[in-house]
Amino acid sequence: MAAVTEAKKRTVRINGCVAAAQAAKYADVDVIAAYPIRPYTATMMALAQMVANGELDAEYIVADSEHSQLSISHGASSSGARVFTGSSGVGVQFAYELYSPISGSRMPVQMMIADRTLDPPGDFGSEHTDALSTRDMGWLMGWSCDAQEAFDNHLMAYRIGEDPRVLLPQMVCQDGFFVSHITSDVELPDPGQVKEFLPPYKHPYPLDPRHPVSHGPQIMPEQGPPLQLERARAMEESMAVIEQVHDEFANIFGRRYDPWVEEFMTDDAEVVFFMQGAHAVTARFAIQHMRDRGLKVGLVRLRTIRPYPTDRVKEILSKFKVVGVIETNMGLGSVSSGGSLYAEACAALYESQQRPLVVSFMAGMGGEAIVLKEFYWMTQKMIDAQKRGKIEKRTHWVGFEE
Amino acid sequence: MATIEVQRQLLPILDSPNQGARFYNPDLPSTEPFVPGHRTCAGCGPSIQYRMTSKAAGDNTILVGPTGCMYVANSSYLCTPYNVPWAHTQIGSAGSFTAGVAAAYEAMIRKGKWKGAYPNIICEAGDGSASDIGLASISGALYRNHDCLIICYDNEQYANTGIQASSRTPYGGMTTFSPPGPMVPEAKTLFPKDLARMMAAGHPHCYVATASVGYPIDLMNKVRKGLNHKGAAYLMVYTPCQKGFVYETPRSIDLGRLVVECGLYPMWEWNPETRAYNYSFRPASMRPVSEYLKLQGRFGHLHAEHIAKLQKFANEQWRMMGVELPEALIQAADAKNLVNMGSAAEAEEVAQTV
Repeated sequence: MAAVTEAKKRTVRINGCVAAAQAAKYADVDVIAAYPIRPYTATMMALAQMVANGELDAEYIVADSEHSQLSISHGASSSGARVFTGSSGVGVQFAYELYSPISGSRMPVQMMIADRTLDPPGDFGSEHTDALSTRDMGWLMGWSCDAQEAFDNHLMAYRIGEDPRVLLPQMVCQDGFFVSHITSDVELPDPGQVKEFLPPYKHPYPLDPRHPVSHGPQIMPEQGPPLQLERARAMEESMAVIEQVHDEFANIFGRRYDPWVEEFMTDDAEVVFFMQGAHAVTARFAIQHMRDRGLKVGLVRLRTIRPYPTDRVKEILSKFKVVGVIETNMGLGSVSSGGSLYAEACAALYESQQRPLVVSFMAGMGGEAIVLKEFYWMTQKMIDAQKRGKIEKRTHWVGFEE
Repeated sequence: MATIEVQRQLLPILDSPNQGARFYNPDLPSTEPFVPGHRTCAGCGPSIQYRMTSKAAGDNTILVGPTGCMYVANSSYLCTPYNVPWAHTQIGSAGSFTAGVAAAYEAMIRKGKWKGAYPNIICEAGDGSASDIGLASISGALYRNHDCLIICYDNEQYANTGIQASSRTPYGGMTTFSPPGPMVPEAKTLFPKDLARMMAAGHPHCYVATASVGYPIDLMNKVRKGLNHKGAAYLMVYTPCQKGFVYETPRSIDLGRLVVECGLYPMWEWNPETRAYNYSFRPASMRPVSEYLKLQGRFGHLHAEHIAKLQKFANEQWRMMGVELPEALIQAADAKNLVNMGSAAEAEEVAQTV
């Protein structure tokens, strides 16, 4: 088996969008709901070609809006089909109504997000605000930082979301352009490996005329809390499944990810960046440079934000003196008056006996790259805070200060 | 890729001699996919329609219910009236959710993941969903020609939210969003969106028809024709709402006939093969609109000039169907020949005017 598997694996040079499309193909999706918006569109373009070529047997639906994309996905998933959809930026928001109904009816729809800033003013760049604004709607959610990880996350997300202990939809996010449009080597597996890893989708209560069920009837107020509690529990219980699936993935495909966080050069670090997504690639590079100069800096990259690994984040971040949160999202008027990741980091640390200083950096906004010298600048701010024993201010807009 | 051919159902058309007659004895299928036990109002037009429609479709059926009366009043938790699979969806998702169900069955049957004949997939959208918020999603489903039937149960208002005007609310119809007052004596000032015709004109490959609960066999046959048509079908059904129209509960079916007899609800079918309208449906008699209006509290505020406008509208509908108008109806479109609704006595006078 192993020998055959090795023979059929192949490495291709593709971008994040195509990696996501490849994952959907390997997952043998039944229904695809597309609607164009940059930058995720390239995923749907790739899938359209696969269907046209006969490489993938799926209903490829060009929807009339993102709202319809998600409703089509909801209907198809409710009927027992494996579904793939996706969006970017304002498209993610146009579909907002559907996020709670889909997770509430426990349909494991998968949605690919290639981040894009929200309007105004019609910026194409990547910013995580689009997907993050839906983070409390009951969807599993996490970011990859390169095309290979995107491919792997899509496969794992189907497996996790469709697990009968979970049955939740998944948002598999990647930064627009930095991941979605940058090509890199991606190892595509043997279909046999995927078959072993990902069993066919089987919802326990689909819309099937042989076993009539009613989905989503109107309820009385007192019947609401038990349903909300069940959804909350599914999210909590998904944590064990997520860990198990990451283990099995490593055993079958040979790539092992920590499901919650990636730690980079944190062993003796005193100050660390806490962030999600593609800019972590630059961060690793910057950290190596700074390490050469003797600065004890490291990186904690969050891989899964829903469910939020509160205890892991608390345990890890408590080891350091200063945590610099790189937001890449907007939380206007929020706790830090900057982004929304700061509050997530601080809340996890609240119960810690040993709390680091936490500072928020507004960087990578509008799809700007975070360049090396900005990482150096941010590191200096953290080191200054460490020396001073307190932060200068909660939020720095990087590039707008000396 | 090996694929399995999708088998589709063919439902027989019911015998219906003299379908426009006021009284006839329908011979209905015994199956009841929509059973009693729901919370709709007595005499609810949409639920009468629901029963007829689902009877016509039979048991190999999946129902989709966008938000509206037929969601809220039908499905109280742990007690739904559906004997076939049913799913709620958002009010703007009528066409899209239904398309998802249809696409899922196409793919699952083709790929051998589900075995059996392709089910009837029916969406029951209220006129708020169908004419306003879900219009684009329904147009999308019709345009893409998913094998499904989308029904607009047209009670001419948002009833579930407490009677608000929709773009199907008739001219002169009082709702809580279109109340009459000194500045707006006629209440609703706009004539309704010609929804079914929009659907036929814009999606000529679809079977499109209008129907009314007043003619159950005709309704059921149109449901079956829509389901038998391979591809998308659209049906707009007049379903009076006792709560919003304000009439005596037992008169739902009467209204369903009167609205056709007075020309306010043209009955037609669009044939996707010949790409032509079929206007052959003829009610047993033709009546002035005032006979229909006077039974309903929502029109109680109308003045003669408003009734004349409605009669003019009805006359246009008759002409459009190729019907020659009797002199009495032409006269009835002149405000001079009409009186205000105002009171019951006046209403009686209205009836005797023409």
